[in-house]
Parts: sequence; structure tokens; C-alpha cells
Amino acid sequence: MFEEASEVLENMLKWSFPLSLVLFLVLVCPLRAEAAHEFSVYRMQQYDLQGQTYGSRNAILNTEARSVEAEVLSRRCVMMRLADFSYEKYQKALRQSAGAVVIILPQNMSTMPQDIVQQFMELEPELLATETIVPVYFALEDEELLSIYMQTQVSSSSQGSSSAAEVLLHTATANGFQMVTSGAQSKAVSDWAITSLEGRLSGSGGEDLPTIVLVAHYDSFGVAPWLSYGADSNGSGVAILLELARLFSRLYSYKRTHAGYNLLFFLSGGGKFNYQGTKRWLEDNLDHTDSSLLQDNVAFVLCLDTLGNSDDLYLHVSKPPKEGSPQHALLKELETVVADQHPDLKFSMVHKKINLADDTLAWEHERFGIRRLPAFTLSHLESHRSPARHSIMDMRSVSSSLEGAGEATAGPHVDLAKLSRNTKVIAETLARVIYNLTEKGVDGDLEIFTEQMQVQEDQLASLVDWLTAQPRAAQLLDKDSSIVNTLEYHLSRYLKDVKRHLVRADKRDPEFVFYDQLKQTMNAYRVKPAIFDLLLAVCIASYLGVLYLAVQNFGLLYGFLRRVTAPRVKQH
Amino acid sequence: MTLFHFGNCFSLAYFPYFITYKCSGLSEYNAFWRCVQAGATYLFVQLCKMLFLATFFPTWEGGAGVYDFVGEFMKATVDMADLLGLHLVMSRNAGKGEYKIMVAAMGWATAELIMSRCIPLWVGARGIEFDWKYIQMSFDSNISLVHYIAMAAVVWMFTRYDLPKSFRLPVTILLGLCVYKGFLMELFVHVFLLGSWTALLVKAVLTGAISLCSLFLFVTLVHSN
Repeated sequence: MFEEASEVLENMLKWSFPLSLVLFLVLVCPLRAEAAHEFSVYRMQQYDLQGQTYGSRNAILNTEARSVEAEVLSRRCVMMRLADFSYEKYQKALRQSAGAVVIILPQNMSTMPQDIVQQFMELEPELLATETIVPVYFALEDEELLSIYMQTQVSSSSQGSSSAAEVLLHTATANGFQMVTSGAQSKAVSDWAITSLEGRLSGSGGEDLPTIVLVAHYDSFGVAPWLSYGADSNGSGVAILLELARLFSRLYSYKRTHAGYNLLFFLSGGGKFNYQGTKRWLEDNLDHTDSSLLQDNVAFVLCLDTLGNSDDLYLHVSKPPKEGSPQHALLKELETVVADQHPDLKFSMVHKKINLADDTLAWEHERFGIRRLPAFTLSHLESHRSPARHSIMDMRSVSSSLEGAGEATAGPHVDLAKLSRNTKVIAETLARVIYNLTEKGVDGDLEIFTEQMQVQEDQLASLVDWLTAQPRAAQLLDKDSSIVNTLEYHLSRYLKDVKRHLVRADKRDPEFVFYDQLKQTMNAYRVKPAIFDLLLAVCIASYLGVLYLAVQNFGLLYGFLRRVTAPRVKQH
Repeated sequence: MTLFHFGNCFSLAYFPYFITYKCSGLSEYNAFWRCVQAGATYLFVQLCKMLFLATFFPTWEGGAGVYDFVGEFMKATVDMADLLGLHLVMSRNAGKGEYKIMVAAMGWATAELIMSRCIPLWVGARGIEFDWKYIQMSFDSNISLVHYIAMAAVVWMFTRYDLPKSFRLPVTILLGLCVYKGFLMELFVHVFLLGSWTALLVKAVLTGAISLCSLFLFVTLVHSN
């Protein structure tokens, strides 16, 4: 048979050499198989700030999945659910040099109990602080991912079973999963531009008017950039700033209410990365320009940071304001407004000196303080170290947008009623300052922003909803992003001279470096262990042996049938 | 290890053919080239069937869950062309009945193996993802071999001029079963919602039954003279 075969093949090959070449190329090319499940995963932060590296250094992953109870974790992908997450387990995975860690988060965070959310929020900065070469990913849970996790857990926890028969049966029936990411290794993004936006409302009455600067940073921060929605911190600040811009531009459009103060509004980018936008803006305005509003007569700078919730209000200062200064006026007006109009609000001043030895600055006003501009930060948080300021749990589900009171989520969130109350407080206070109402003897409980000038709660609601509809991490917002463009458009509706300000890291000594590959598609392939293939080969070999014997002895069956039919023939 | 898995599936599919070829004594008769000719006839017949189906049968427009019984039945009827093809092959080969049957069946089944199984196995079994369906596909090819041998035998018997009257009916029934076996299998799977392994088992049992009956009839026919 082989001689004929070779002859035939020879003839075929002579005429089909190009065909066989193509066939060879097809055979050699790598294969892309269909996966059991494909899902998006979001990588942990990776950035350098002022030379210090943070977060997970690695992005690629092609390892087998295990759950954290398994004994052997090295070079495996450890999968954990948020409900079972603890720092000790995470450390254990890292110590055993795991190949990767995937943390599965529920689709709807509000189903998680309060203490788990709180615990995770407190762990987020610690996760980032330990720089690791292990890629850490977050995935949102769906049915298939959950079933993959369950199967992995079952197979991991039964690895300790002793008897050989059990192990054999186990290998035949169990499913292993190979997790593979499709992207490349992470590398630094070169020439990333952080955008900040400014706009102004000029006061009436000539030159050299005092300026009030209102600042809010619009980016958000969390352990995974693609999951940082930043509802309260600092979506609330941005919403309040935009609403104030609207209200005051309305006031300034009438001659009678056009005050003698310049109002400068600034939406800074890179706020969570040590206020990079503000820093460069100040440098440019104070050092590199001849005349700028910031150089002349600045009454004070008010930074808005996390004001969407709670009945506390804190005014953070780095230097207690002196009597008779505009800053002192602001403080007094705030106290008046709170005492007379909103007695349920607890207000106090927090004095914290600027500590330049720290890695990062505490609040945004400290940037201004360093440049000798009087500044405050208003926030409902008492400490800048509060986990609510940099958590992925800080989100607002878009569906329940107009319910007013906000859903009872476990993590930090925006309470619309309180947000609009805080907006009113700030607006009333500013109005009292710029129109000098206390000196003119106007009572503390006169409300200016009512009826037509009311703080529009649904405007605030839609702003917060829009802001939290997509992640706003600084690494994701370049100068062409839709958020920046929309903010610019929004500002230009109410303010004049809306300008962009770009920050690029210094080439030789960068203050910040961002890395890419933050969102990947992970494929989970169902695999069987190697021993399974051997087992299967043995079974097939025995099957073929049986078949061979059967075919060899086919004559027996034939003869049997012959004997069965022969008597009938004889009977005929 | 996935190339190993491909090797497993391939050997499971191909070795029975090899064994059958060797042990049925066909190699002594230099039947290789004839088998290749039978395979070429298979290709030609499949091409004609496809053209016919594409031209005359409209695409099924109904919902996904409903099974188009009538349409699939008509399509299965076109599979009669297989019988004609087998008959053509067998009539061109001179020799004993067994020789004709075996040559036609081997060539036909091997061509089907190469055309319809090799590429899915190569593309699928080599990937990282594991699926039982490749092993099932290889088993299926074994069952097809037996099926085609039985079908060839029944066709041969049908065309014999000396077929006794009493055999006409069983042979015709068996012929019909052979042609509509695919249709019946799909019917079973759809109506009883069988799992893939169960369906394979049912198919094996059905093929076994058909082949035993045809073997019985064949033996009776050949040795009744």
C-alpha cells in the first residue's frame, strides 16, 4: 500500500508544490481558539509620582486559575471575590509569587454589606502602596465568571485529597481554566497632557478689583483607574462649582447686582496626583506672565473638595485668618449663614500647617498657600486621609438619578438634598462677602438664592449623573476627551475668557508618569491537565486494540451468522 | 499538550480505517487506487447534492427553536444521491460482492473523514480550549465507517437480480433507514433533548442494528445459493 501511496503522493506533489507551501504556512501559524468566557478586566493603578513608584507593574498574564485556598499559588492566577477579600490573603498570594491576582467585584455594589465596603476602602491605599510586579486586575461579576470562580474553588480546595483513584477521577472530570490577557506589557505613556480649565466673571467698577478664586479638581481616583467614578470626591465639587458659575453669572448680568469682585473659576486636572494642574497653573500665572488676576489683589481662594453628603462642614486652613482680612470675612459669613439658615449643619474650622516633608500635599489650598495666596478648602471630610477621597466604591448608579434622596448605598455617595444645601450655603456666603452684606447690616437669615435664583437641584443631579457615568481618572482624560470638552463648553456658557491650561510632565525629571494597558480583555479557556491527555491516550490505545481484535476475528461473527442461516437453507 | 489532544482525536478517528483496510484483505488486491476513485466519486456526488440543495430549496425563515420537519425531510431525501453514487462505484469495480462493497465503502468513508473531520479537528482540537466534542467527532467517524459498509452492502443487495422476493421488503426498509438515519437522529435529539454523549450512543446502537440486519441478509443471500 505504501508504494502506491508514495507514487500517488509524488505525482500530486509535483503539481501542487505551491499548494503545499500554502498548507505549510497555514499549519505553522498560531491558533486563536474560542474561549469559554471573555470579559473585561481593569488593572490596578500604575503610576510614578515625584519619582516614587506605586501600584502594579505588570500587565500580561497567561496562567492557570486558582482560588486563594489552594496550596500551590506560585505562577498561578489567584481569583478572589470581594466578599472573601482580606489583606492577609492578598499578602499570601504575593508572598507565594502568584502569577496574577483577579478580584471579582459585584455588579451592584449596593448589595455588599457596609463593613466589607468599609474594609475594602481602607485597604485601597495599602494595596497601592506596596509596589508589586504581580498584575492585579478587577473584574465585574457576571454569571459565567461566577461559575468559573466556583469551579476553580472546588478544584483548588480538593487538591489535598489523598487517594490516587480520587485524583485520577478528579483529573478526568474537573475543568481547569487558563486565564490569558490579550494586551501587551505596560509601558509609560509619553507626553500625557493634563488639562485644566479656567473662566472668569469680571467685577464692575474699574481696575484693580479684588479677585475671589473658586477651585475644584475634576478628576477621580481609586485602586483601579477604569473603576474610579468619584461621585462624592470630587464630582460633588465640580457640580457645585458649575452651579455657582451659573448663579453668579446670572447675578453679574444685571447692572444692579454686578459686584465689585472678580470671580475666577478653575477646574483643575491631576488633582488626585498632588494637584499637578493647580501647581503648573500657579507657576504660569505668577512666574511667567506679566499681569494676571492672581498676581494682583486676591481676596481668597476657596477650594471645593467632597461636599456631596453628611451634615458636617469643615473649613480647612493652613494659617488661621487674621482679623479684618477678607479671609476672616469669609469665615465669619460662613458661620453666620450656617447658624442662621441651616442650624442642622455642624461647621468648624480645621487648622493644619503645610508639611512640605510629606510625600503629597493634603488639600488643594496648600498649593496656593505655598505661593502665599490665602486659601481654604471646604469639605465635609475632617481629614484629608479619609478613604472616601480615593476609593472605587465612591459611585452613583445612574438609573436612580432623580430620586432626590439617593439610594442607601454602602460606600460614599452623593446625597442630592445635602449637595444642594451645601451649594446654597456657599452661594449665600459668597454673596454676603461680595456684596458686603454684614457691614451693611443685613440679617443673617436673609436668603438671596430663592425663587428665580434658586439652586436648581435637578441641574445638580444631572451634572452628578453625567460626571459619574464614566470613569474620570486622570490617566484616562487627555485633552481631547469628551469630559474636558463638555466642561469647557459648560463653562463658556456662563463665564468669559474660558481657557485651557495644559500640564505636561518634565522630560528629564517628571513629576508624574502614567502607564497604559489599564483595561484589558481577559479570556478564560477551559483546559484539562496534562495527565488527562495521557489518560485519554491510554484509553484510546486500548479501544483500538479491542477494535483490532474484533476486526481480526470478524470471521467468527460471519461464521456464526452462517451457521444460523444454514439450517434454514437446509430446511428449504 | 493540545497537539497531543489533536493526535489523540486523529488516531481515534483514523486508525479504525487503517485497521479495517489492512485486515479486510483489501491490500492484497491493490485496491488503494480504487478506493481513491471511490473517494473522488464521493466528492462529485456531494458537490451535485450541494448545488441541488442550494438551487431548489429555500432557506428556512422560521424561528430558531422550531424544527422544520418537512424541510429537513426533503433535504434528507436528496441523500438518495449517496446511494446512486455508491451504486456507480460498485458497478465499475469488477470482482466479488464483498470486494466491491468493501472498496466502495472504504473509499467513501475515508473521503468523508478527510473532508468533514480533518479540518475541524485541526483547527479545534489544537487550541487551548478543551471540548469533548472533538472526541465525539472521532467516535462519530468510527460509526460512519460501519454505517457506510452497511449502506454499500444494502445497495449491492438491492441491485442483485437474484434477490429473492421475500428479501425485497427488508432490503428496501434498510435502505430507507440508511438514507434517513441522519434525519432520524436529529429528530430524536430535538424531541427528546438528548445530551451529546447520549445522542452518540443512540447513533451507535442504531447503526449497529442496521449493520447487523444487513449482515444477516447478506450472509443469507450469499450462502443461499
